[in-house]
Amino acid sequence: MTRHEGCPSSIFHRLSFCRGIHKAIKDYALKFVVLISISVILFTGCGADPNRDPNELVIHSVLPSKIGTLDPGNWESIYEHIVLAQIFEPLYEYHYLKRPYEVVPLLADGMPQVSDDMLIYTIKIKNGVYFHDDPCFQDGKGRELKASDFIYSLKRIANIRYLSKNWWLFEDRIVGLDEFREYTKTCQSEEDVDYCRPVEGMQIPDDYTLVIKLKKPWPQLIYVLTYQAVALAKEAVDYYGQDVISHPVGTGPFMLKTWHRGSYIDLVRNPNFRKDYYPTQGQQQDAEQGLLDDAGETMPFVDRIIFRIIEEDQPRWFLFLRGQIDNIIIPKDNFGQAIAASMDLTPAMTKRNIRFNTFRQPSTLYIGFNLEDKILGANKPLREAISYALDRAKYIELFWNSRDEIAHGLIPPVMNSYNPLDLPQGPVRGPQAGMAWPTARDGPDIKKMGLAILRIGQRYDPEKAEQLVRQAQKIYGLRQGLRLSSAERPQPSRGKLPTLKLSMAGTDIMARQIGQFWQRCLKDAGLDVEVEYLDLATFLNKIRTKSAQMFYCLWTADYPDAESFLQLFHSKNVSPGVNSFNYRSPEFDKLYEKASCMPDCPARVELYRQAEQIIIRDCPAAFINHPVAYMLYHDWLGNYKPHAFQFGLVKYHKIDKRKRDAYKELVKGTPFRKKMAKWEPKKIK
Amino acid sequence: MNNQQNKTEMAPKGISLWQDGLRKPARRTSLWVGGLHRRKLAMASFVIIVVYFLLAGLIYVGEIFNWQWAAVKWSEQIGKQYQPPSAQHIFGTDIFGQSVFRKTLYGAKISLTVALCASFVSIAIGVPLGALAGYFRGIIDDIIVWIYSTLSSIPYILLILAFAVVLRDRTLFGHKLTGITSVYLAIGLTSWVGLCRLIRGEVIKHKERQYVLAARSYGCSNSRIIFRHLLPNVFHLVIIDFSIRFVAFIHAEVILSFLGLGEANRPSWGAMINDARIEMSRGVWWQMAAATLAIFFISLALNIFGDALRDCLDPKLRIQ
Amino acid sequence: MTTYIIRRLLYTIPIVFGVLLLTFILFKVVPGDPAIQIAGKGASPQVIEEVRQEYGLSKPLFLSWDSQFLNHLKNALTFDFGRALDREQVIDKIKRGLGPSLAITIPMFLGILIISVGMSLFVAFARGTVWDVLVVVICVAGMSIPYLSFILFGQYFLAYKWWIFPVFFEPDLPLYKCAALPVLIGVAAGLGANLHFYRTVMLDEMRNDYVRTAFAKGLSTKRVLFKHVLKNAMVPIITRVTLTIPYLFLGSLLLERFFGIPGLGYLMVEATSSRDYFVINAMTYISAILFVIFNLLADICYALVDPRVSFE
Repeated sequence: MTRHEGCPSSIFHRLSFCRGIHKAIKDYALKFVVLISISVILFTGCGADPNRDPNELVIHSVLPSKIGTLDPGNWESIYEHIVLAQIFEPLYEYHYLKRPYEVVPLLADGMPQVSDDMLIYTIKIKNGVYFHDDPCFQDGKGRELKASDFIYSLKRIANIRYLSKNWWLFEDRIVGLDEFREYTKTCQSEEDVDYCRPVEGMQIPDDYTLVIKLKKPWPQLIYVLTYQAVALAKEAVDYYGQDVISHPVGTGPFMLKTWHRGSYIDLVRNPNFRKDYYPTQGQQQDAEQGLLDDAGETMPFVDRIIFRIIEEDQPRWFLFLRGQIDNIIIPKDNFGQAIAASMDLTPAMTKRNIRFNTFRQPSTLYIGFNLEDKILGANKPLREAISYALDRAKYIELFWNSRDEIAHGLIPPVMNSYNPLDLPQGPVRGPQAGMAWPTARDGPDIKKMGLAILRIGQRYDPEKAEQLVRQAQKIYGLRQGLRLSSAERPQPSRGKLPTLKLSMAGTDIMARQIGQFWQRCLKDAGLDVEVEYLDLATFLNKIRTKSAQMFYCLWTADYPDAESFLQLFHSKNVSPGVNSFNYRSPEFDKLYEKASCMPDCPARVELYRQAEQIIIRDCPAAFINHPVAYMLYHDWLGNYKPHAFQFGLVKYHKIDKRKRDAYKELVKGTPFRKKMAKWEPKKIK
Repeated sequence: MNNQQNKTEMAPKGISLWQDGLRKPARRTSLWVGGLHRRKLAMASFVIIVVYFLLAGLIYVGEIFNWQWAAVKWSEQIGKQYQPPSAQHIFGTDIFGQSVFRKTLYGAKISLTVALCASFVSIAIGVPLGALAGYFRGIIDDIIVWIYSTLSSIPYILLILAFAVVLRDRTLFGHKLTGITSVYLAIGLTSWVGLCRLIRGEVIKHKERQYVLAARSYGCSNSRIIFRHLLPNVFHLVIIDFSIRFVAFIHAEVILSFLGLGEANRPSWGAMINDARIEMSRGVWWQMAAATLAIFFISLALNIFGDALRDCLDPKLRIQ
Repeated sequence: MTTYIIRRLLYTIPIVFGVLLLTFILFKVVPGDPAIQIAGKGASPQVIEEVRQEYGLSKPLFLSWDSQFLNHLKNALTFDFGRALDREQVIDKIKRGLGPSLAITIPMFLGILIISVGMSLFVAFARGTVWDVLVVVICVAGMSIPYLSFILFGQYFLAYKWWIFPVFFEPDLPLYKCAALPVLIGVAAGLGANLHFYRTVMLDEMRNDYVRTAFAKGLSTKRVLFKHVLKNAMVPIITRVTLTIPYLFLGSLLLERFFGIPGLGYLMVEATSSRDYFVINAMTYISAILFVIFNLLADICYALVDPRVSFE
């Protein structure tokens, strides 16, 4: 090891040497560095603290996914709806507290008058409702709401040049609207469309009355009017053009202040909001929980809502623990920290005065089969085998913290047409919110045990699965043999089934783990399955072009009517519609068509159940579970009751500022090491 | 003076570049001081590399012939979920109770296959194209340079994603392309550019050498000149590039797993590290640690060995 | 010199054309009909067809005056990037993402550059000592650990467990606070490879005869290093630096994705997974132009700094 001569080894020289380096580099790149530094400093101005009035009441909420648009005619994801529902108001809404879910008027004045043949709806509009103040109006003041605004909203959805994603709901429903759509095809662009062109099925006898004429009875219209066809000002669309997606002008209790795309949305209270009162009635337990304390008070109670967009679970959880978010759905990996094995809150949570609420979602998770697939289509034992092979209980335990309910059919328990369980499952613990109908949950109903026989296929039975796989192999071998000419035909072979393919939407870790789990279950039954993970766009594409074989999917009802689920199986909705199973059954179609024109009554419930039985019998999908959400919320968030279908909820909430400030002090006060010990989650054993 | 150590010894006559390189100890203190250290380290790295490849090869063969060997049976549940490392389970268990150790071993097969196949694809495309471009010049050169300039102007991630998606459900030569195959084809198809440039530069330089002129003078056909004379003389670059790229491909597999491409149905190092994102919040660190260590050792070995190889084979050193 | 520049500029035209052609082909070949996506769930086939007409997706691909490819070219050349799938102007998205991206990549780049060049000079000076060994260890270790592991490790310990930095991008905090941890991790992860490169460059320079002569003449080490070695080593350094600059604009994909920084890298990943053709198109085009420009700059710098290189 030689040293370079003339190389002093003292540290002093090395230091000066280092200084020399920096000087040299600066000499060479000085201007460049200065320029860049200036621009960096300028950029750090972005994302600075929004101005805060210290006394205002703010709700901090979180959205787990980015939203694309604040245009109510074109919203797609549920999170866009959550934000939109605070700004825009539809004609009707659900009662906040009453269960089962009940529709009450919002901008409408009273429930609609329906003609005897259920084709004509006469809706009166409230007087004295004003739009938000916005530059698009004359002298900036919002004008009064008229019935024509709702007609404009509907016509806009029908405008083909506008390319609304929500048109399919109204297709072939309202008299004259489809012809209006045909007319818009002749226009060159969105702006050329003449919205004054009359539509026969939407009339305005006077400024505050709306008459809608339908082509055939549509009892779900009242539900659709709770989230579509909101009051939208034509002036805003004309003024902002395509940029109306970021300039929403509605009549709601909140207005948009800032939308920092991808980061947060800031809504402020509408100073001109009409008088809207907190409900005075509710369920029995609401009074005890203090949910009726503000009965009769004017809403909203807070001045501002900040929705943050945080896509990852962990940061959201973190912010919730620090008190910077008011409520959260517990992420799967932190469940153990929040909820103990007894399904009550852990001491760590109760110490911080965090409360929780369970809430059944009107959804069903399933693995659907493409019935037009050559292998699955004509091989019912195979489909049933797959359904029997899925260990639903273990799946719920691994991925949903054992809180969901196993699905034995299509319709979830939250619907009133839910067919009660005959296999006892154990009660859902915790404060119940959103129970639609009392169901037989306290034990097996011996009388109904007979129904178990009808529940073919929708449960976990590994032996039956293997048996059916053998049967399926025989059928497949036979069919393979039949395809060859008689000369080449071999013996009907018990050929092994080819590798099946399951498509999952999502390439994230949880999707992969779930996919692997299904793979293992099916492998145990003797089926070879390959899972592919696709991003959402490709997944939807694959389903709609009928190229998926099996797919893992979730369907959530838009309203508390099981028709929302049953429409998934009607033959007119075959891909690229919502019937991704490509299921065609004249028997089912007949029942569905009959039931969808009936108002809510026991006869209809019976028809729905029969239709469900047909589906279970034909096995176009393996139903897995009905999600149950566990929500945590801080004690300063008052009047909080989760709702399955209504999203314009923030106007009911209130904040106790003192409690929140006290909590924040608690969090800040402890020094950093002690913080670590205090907030450290328990090790999972 | 330091430079004295750098004096090269002239190679004895009659020995090829390769033999000479492998025979001699280090001439340059590029990585470590002293030839003796270097030699030992390079050999140790070589041993590690061989071990990894043997492992991958054995697992590959074992899968085909269905041997009942532990590493092949990675999906067997050997314990409860999320057990920390202990005497019983060397690296602990994952969410399904599978052995993380077995998954790590199996992951070697996937990663090495990806890297190997991608390397072969990029060599198979880059070398011929580079040689053609460098030898013939003219319009062929222009076209090839245009192609690779275009490819290198498009962001790498985009190209990979696009290729992987395009190739996803296609069949190539009768063999259906499944998930990971399309990925390594995609990686290979986007990384031949560097090699092509290198080869092209070298071939341009060599074209004017005496031996090429001599070969042409006695009537050698073009293809003979390229394949028998030029390529062997530039091949050392390919080897060096291979060893550097190999590491890059192994790391690329990790990143692609993160982006959602990558082996879905079998364990791979990238998938294990990716899983760690949510597992860390539960305090489950062992999956990530195992995969990181595995990648670390092979990358280290390849880097050291690659450097040693470069020193041996780089003819620049001979001509002082 | 000017003829050289003009010639090179002319040469970039076919490359830009090639890029546009390639992106066009890739996105037409890639399966996935944007019309289905735009039309939304539950749309009937007629609606999808109508949407297709609306977006001009049913026009012929190449062989007509109104073909899709020609429209594509026209839009690109006039920098008309249109609106993304969610109807926001693509230009607005890019402008919004530029700030956060640069706030991470520029400090990272500068940090790596300064540390690498500094340390490699130091090592050239102190070759054969413990410091050299240490630097080599850092290099090789840094190159061998996967990037993702760096990020996970850093995020877990520095943010999650020890609360030194925020875990994730929060819109309330000023940008520099949120960018600190990603920059730190980026510098740590990128140091290995860069240090190795610069070290090799420096050592290669040191081997040259003129260095020996300079020392023989009796010049001090500092003089030799700064006046001779560094200047000559500048050629590969500048080339590398200039070629890295376009990448600064693209943002660091992984860091942004992990920390939720709303920059251009994040935009690109999202656009690719949601098949947002318009955004991807715009980003590819812009990055291709940047690559081409900076390649040219690198060549010019190279020619300026090294008098041996002629303009051929």
